[in-house]
Amino acid sequence: MSSDDLFAAEEQVIAAAQQLLDNGRFADRVDGKLYEELLKDYQKLFRTTRRLMKLSDRNEQQLNALSQEQRRANEIITQKNQELDALSTKLSKYLSPQIYHSIFTGAQNVEIASSRKKLTIFFSDVVNFTETTDKLESEDLTNLLNRYLTEMTNIALEHGATIDKYIGDAIMVFFGDPESRGVKEDARACVRMAIAMLRRLRELRAEWLELGAEKPFHLRIGINTGYCTVGNFGSDDRMDYTIIGSAVNLTARLQSHSEIDGVLLGHETYSLVRDDVAVDEQTPIKVKGFAEPVRCYKVLGLYDDLAAEGSVIREESDGFKVLLDLQKQDRAAAVAALEAIVARLKASGGGAA
Amino acid sequence: MRDKLDIQATTRTPAVSFDFMQNHLKITGESYPEDVTEFYGPVFTALDSYLGKLGSGTCRFDFELIYLNSSSAKAIMMLMDKLDAAAKKGAAVDVYWYYDKEDDTMQELGEEFGEDLENAKFHLEKMPG
Repeated sequence: MSSDDLFAAEEQVIAAAQQLLDNGRFADRVDGKLYEELLKDYQKLFRTTRRLMKLSDRNEQQLNALSQEQRRANEIITQKNQELDALSTKLSKYLSPQIYHSIFTGAQNVEIASSRKKLTIFFSDVVNFTETTDKLESEDLTNLLNRYLTEMTNIALEHGATIDKYIGDAIMVFFGDPESRGVKEDARACVRMAIAMLRRLRELRAEWLELGAEKPFHLRIGINTGYCTVGNFGSDDRMDYTIIGSAVNLTARLQSHSEIDGVLLGHETYSLVRDDVAVDEQTPIKVKGFAEPVRCYKVLGLYDDLAAEGSVIREESDGFKVLLDLQKQDRAAAVAALEAIVARLKASGGGAA
Repeated sequence: MRDKLDIQATTRTPAVSFDFMQNHLKITGESYPEDVTEFYGPVFTALDSYLGKLGSGTCRFDFELIYLNSSSAKAIMMLMDKLDAAAKKGAAVDVYWYYDKEDDTMQELGEEFGEDLENAKFHLEKMPG
């Protein structure tokens, strides 16, 4: 149906009315004039109606066209967003999750900038990596190294570490930035992580031996706490989010002085974790850049673990604390000391409850 | 009577620039107000006041509209009626309808509006640029 058909009835009314006028059917001239004006107004109203209808239809067409254009644009945006998501997922694997998150949520700007923070730093290195892996085929070496790094990284992330970098077989992580649970808790988390890594490595060594690896990996670990400069370093085109400072260098030195499959702590880390971690103080080490030999501590284990094994007795509540390291303390001497304490308690008038 | 009526354009309403001293009136932009009577009411009032005193004077009215909805089209027709009525009373009224050269709808609408004017002089022009 054309728009003319749509208005056929109105056209007929106008034609009939015009015919009445043309045929001189109005005897009264005034009536004729009024009728003529009425017809003219009707014709104008009719034109207005058609015009508005046409305009309305065209506007609707334009709106539909725009709507389709919008839909197409949305499809392109969705596709581009998916591409961007895929790309950012790939890129995220080159960044520590916390750094990735802080950049992609806008919490952190990607610019050359840094700040000073107290961090706990962790270095690990595979003992004699080159000799251990020298006879391996490239694919086997890749699989072995990636499996090792993946396992260690999972443990690091579980403990809230920020992965700074992998340097071949070496791993550098830190605690305290961009998220921190407080300096003390960051240090505790770091030591717990190191112990968990060594535990997992013992399991992996058993697996690797069964798979035929002649010399499975062994580690040295160093942990230290101190002020570092943390931020983006590099150029505007290529930058790394990393940490620098003497505390970082000292951590690397502690790592190199650690025993095989051992963890060596710097003094500040030790002072932060001493309530939770059993240690054995080592001979201070000389480190370039430090005037005095640096105090360091070999980790023996977490008191909770040692208590479960029976090598430590630990009782602690508000105002009461007993920590008995049976590896260091003679049992008879310990009993005598405790009995002396009980006797003093009784003598002071408290008596048994 | 005021010398001027100036209404700034918004995303939904056109700019109104009536310079009564220069006898040059202009409406420019897009027109799809939420309430067409609220927007065009003051425009009609100002135009009525001006045309009432125009007598046999001259007046130029420019329409430079990019988009208008049906209610606005009715309002524009009412403006045209007022201009045509003033011309019928002896004023020399020139109505300029500018359209975008790519916009057939506004061109056709202008042609149809022009056909309704019996006394005012109608000019259909492409927008410059």
